[in-house]
Amino acid sequence: MTRLANLFRELRSYPSAVAGVSVIVIMVIIAIYAMVTIPYSEAVRLWRGGDNVWLETPRNARPAWINNFRREKLPESIIMKTTEDPSLKTVMDLGGGLATSDMLFEFDYYYDAFPSEISMFFTAQFKSARPNVSIKWVTPDGREIRLTDLTVRQSESYRISQDSAVSRRLGGVLPEKGLFADPNDPSKVNKGTYQVVVEGLVFEEGSTLDGSLIVYGQVHGLAGTDHRRRDIMVALLWGTPVALAFGLLAAVGSSLTTMTLAAAAVWFGGWVDYAIRRINEIVMILPLLPILIMVGLFYSRSIWAILGVVILLSIFGSGILTYRSMFLQVKQSGYIEAARAYGASNARIIFRYMVPKVIPVLIPQFVAQVPNYVFLEATLAVLGLGDPVLPTWGKLLNDAYTSGALFNGHYYWVLEPAFLLVVTGLGFAMLGFALDRIFNPRLRGL
Amino acid sequence: MKSDIILDVRDLKLHFRTRKGPVQAVDGVTFQLKRGQTLAVVGESGCGKTSLVKAILRLLPRNIETFTGEVFFNGVDVMKYNDERFRKEIRWTKMAMVPQASMNSLNPVIRIEDQIAEPLFLHEPGISREKAMQRVAEVFKVVGLPLDFLQRYPFELSGGMRQRATIAMALVTNPELVVLDEPSSALDLLTQANLMNVLKKIKHEYGTTFILITHDIGTASELADEIAVMYAGEMVEQCSAEYFYTDARHPYSRKLMASVPTLREDKELQFIPGQPPSLINPPTGCRFADRCEQRFGKCSEHPPVTELEHRQQVQCWLYVNGKGEVKHA
Amino acid sequence: MSKIETTADRAVPARRSASGTFARIARYTLVRGLTLVITVIIGVYLAILIANGGGYVDKIREGQIREQISLSIAGNEALRDMTMQERREYEQNLVAIELSRRGLDQPFMVRSFRYLWNGLTLDLGSAEYLLSDSGSRQVRNILGERLGPTLLLMATGQLLLFFTSVFFALFLSRRYGSVIDRIVVAMAPTSAAPAWFYGIFLILIFAGLLGWLPFGGMVDAPPPPSPWLRALSVIKHLVLPVGAIVVSSIFYTSYYWRTFFLIYSSEDYVDMAKAKGLPSGAIERRYVLRPTLPTIVTSFALTLIGLWTGAIVLETVFGWPGIGRLTQMAINLFDTPVIVGTVVIYAYLLALTVFLLDIVYAIVDPRVKLGGGERRS
Repeated sequence: MTRLANLFRELRSYPSAVAGVSVIVIMVIIAIYAMVTIPYSEAVRLWRGGDNVWLETPRNARPAWINNFRREKLPESIIMKTTEDPSLKTVMDLGGGLATSDMLFEFDYYYDAFPSEISMFFTAQFKSARPNVSIKWVTPDGREIRLTDLTVRQSESYRISQDSAVSRRLGGVLPEKGLFADPNDPSKVNKGTYQVVVEGLVFEEGSTLDGSLIVYGQVHGLAGTDHRRRDIMVALLWGTPVALAFGLLAAVGSSLTTMTLAAAAVWFGGWVDYAIRRINEIVMILPLLPILIMVGLFYSRSIWAILGVVILLSIFGSGILTYRSMFLQVKQSGYIEAARAYGASNARIIFRYMVPKVIPVLIPQFVAQVPNYVFLEATLAVLGLGDPVLPTWGKLLNDAYTSGALFNGHYYWVLEPAFLLVVTGLGFAMLGFALDRIFNPRLRGL
Repeated sequence: MKSDIILDVRDLKLHFRTRKGPVQAVDGVTFQLKRGQTLAVVGESGCGKTSLVKAILRLLPRNIETFTGEVFFNGVDVMKYNDERFRKEIRWTKMAMVPQASMNSLNPVIRIEDQIAEPLFLHEPGISREKAMQRVAEVFKVVGLPLDFLQRYPFELSGGMRQRATIAMALVTNPELVVLDEPSSALDLLTQANLMNVLKKIKHEYGTTFILITHDIGTASELADEIAVMYAGEMVEQCSAEYFYTDARHPYSRKLMASVPTLREDKELQFIPGQPPSLINPPTGCRFADRCEQRFGKCSEHPPVTELEHRQQVQCWLYVNGKGEVKHA
Repeated sequence: MSKIETTADRAVPARRSASGTFARIARYTLVRGLTLVITVIIGVYLAILIANGGGYVDKIREGQIREQISLSIAGNEALRDMTMQERREYEQNLVAIELSRRGLDQPFMVRSFRYLWNGLTLDLGSAEYLLSDSGSRQVRNILGERLGPTLLLMATGQLLLFFTSVFFALFLSRRYGSVIDRIVVAMAPTSAAPAWFYGIFLILIFAGLLGWLPFGGMVDAPPPPSPWLRALSVIKHLVLPVGAIVVSSIFYTSYYWRTFFLIYSSEDYVDMAKAKGLPSGAIERRYVLRPTLPTIVTSFALTLIGLWTGAIVLETVFGWPGIGRLTQMAINLFDTPVIVGTVVIYAYLLALTVFLLDIVYAIVDPRVKLGGGERRS
């Protein structure tokens, strides 16, 4: 226990170790937060996505905080629903089952850029006669633009941005631009209060009509959204426990088994040692990534299956030679002889006497390995072999890469997961380097 | 008289900087050495013997705190030389060394002959390869190594052979002074004896001056004309070998002598209780006082060096105002 | 000739040394080469076992054969008159003949060795979807076409990394404790990220924001007609991926090797060289760099193995038309023969890298004799 206390005291004198530990602690907190607030099944559902899950978020939106650094403010989404705010709707019974159900969506638009999309969604309850709506757009300067007339099924969506008739009426510009454009300078936004007026008519007793207007912005949340409207935050959050679990488990699994095998090789010597060294030579030339690719393609892309293969292939990697040479030194020392003389079992000697001696090498190596595995997961994901259901940082990068994010200027999409990868990697690497200096007397002061 | 003295070291100080404070490895060492003689510097491990060698040859690590004093070589203060002049004019042409654990002093990836010849090419520019190799073979014979080892790499030689190859390397440029730092400590007894014979032969045939650093007083007696005793970074006694073995004066020297096993006498071996003081913040008074059986009130002050008869110099209060006169404080 | 040269006892060692080094290295090279060949064979066999685990590849092949045959039967006018029953039997028959022709009816152990030979000679038949630039469907041709660019990129990157790291590390060891030394020590952990990761940032900065260098590819879109301009264009496209390789590892290797140099410069023989009066440049070259080289070569071998692993994504990120890019395309198209082919060729490349470094190692370290497996310990 005092050794542990000493270790911590010594760690404190290395700023990089302090930074590394802080990063790791923060990452662990984020991971726990992610798992508590978004349960596993929810994370999978959210990331599978689809229009029903991500109806209200804009496509390829940048993070909202970039407005703090811009003079021209980008719009955030404006969402108005009659189900949530009944005052938007006025119902008037005309008798005989007939009733008006008018809606007035009024909003201020003071952003410097146009929205990315405009859509309306309606839900209706009826037996056989579908309700009717007639929609018009009122600009701040009082111009009225007729949008469309619709009959509403149980659920109806009207994508104003894709309505070519509106576009034609606006003189060939995209509706989300034309509807907001300053009549004097169409490249500028006409700032002010807009109205969307919906005149609804239901034809049956008890029939209801509700609607919502969504003016999709160009920014969203803390992290922005991807090409499928998914909030990148979900993947950033859930990527944390996945990365930590993958990195830590792979590092623990491979270093512990490697060490045990090296101890066995040295202790039993002879053909065991010979076999382990030959296997090491073979594994050294086995291309890890292509083999993982084969496993991913032919067997399973589940992150846990890949993890198993990674551990299996790393066991006989270069580390085993380092441990082997250390154990060779330990084996020659007197107390091993003594243990043998009083008749300690092989397992006892390996686990009680030999293994503890290499812990000083094991711990720094183990910590320093974590980033390699974190990045390995990202590497596989970038190749399109990420876990099929879980959102991870690597899959974000892969999506960004396949959608040409860099080419299209969606830098945030690449930078956010990249930043988390770097920070996590650096955290472990810095701690590992510091531990190496503490445990390895030859490096002291160098 | 002056030309007779090859090395005259005055108040040499070498302090290292460490995390815990400066280490006073060599603290005000003064001694003289006559041409052709051998000075044995004895003392416990950690008393600053090796640092003394490094200070004389100016082989300094990075963490130097203080490096002062005067080192007259043939009457010239070489401490005043800059590094480049020292390298060109002193190293190996005037002073060579055989370092501690000298079996590790050979570059593992260069052939023996090339390493031994290296100082020749360096300090006698224009020497032909043939001539250099001839000289290498000569010194190889002097140290008693078979010539076919010349072509080998260090790892193909035994420890004793490497040690002798290092000595051959020290002799190749005919230096006037050779410093031997524990030359035999890692060797078995037979090889040790062999090595001492080689050194004796060199001493007699070439008249080379040696400084022999050792913790083994027995070995020292083989070769030494003069004995100097170091304790905690200071030189506490210096006298001719003749008298040292029978009549050491400093309490520490006496204890040291009493701890040497001898075959003929049936004496009880003694040891010195306690540990030498740390060289970081050593006591301001006599550094041996804590372990000394003869200490008295005065010992809390730093003792001066007293010269007794037979040119015996002792740094101890017991001898102040005695027969000798105070030389300096 | 001096008198020593002519003495009899000198004649033997003289011959021993002249041809000795060469013979030692030759013998060592031969043994290491043979060991590596055996290692590669086992490695490729393992790869084939994985690729065919549970007969997965066999099933794909069988399915393809069935599909081809039933298509050809359906399209055959002459067979229109047959009954359903007859036609099914006929089809069954043809499939069986085809299966045995391709050896798929033999037990797996027999087939696996045939696959092994096919794998080692890269005789992997034709790709399922991919074509070589010259239009060939042969996996060997496709791979062969991509090998050149991969070697160009990786060799340039690796050599540049090695030499800049060595010189930079020496420079740092000379300036131990200086500001730049501290910066490199602090930056060393950044090498935890692979080359492709830095590639993304380099593209973002130099292609996206500054527009100085191309986003990817190997030559300009219509390749310039003159060979000089084409070479220049290739160099322009090389800068970023090579830069990514160097940037991703240089801080780590420099830090690590500088530490080696510092540790090795406290060896006794370095002090000895100083005492001998060698100038500092010579000490650095002959007494610090030279004895450290074997250690450095070993550590570089591990860095290289990591680099090869990262090469697939690096090429993908930069759209570099090499084996790595091909692997990524094969993954997307699920082109099994090409994927197996890339595994084999990467095994070859890794073995070749290890082999070359082994030879370099034997040259720089006279202590290496046969049974070199011991040395890394």
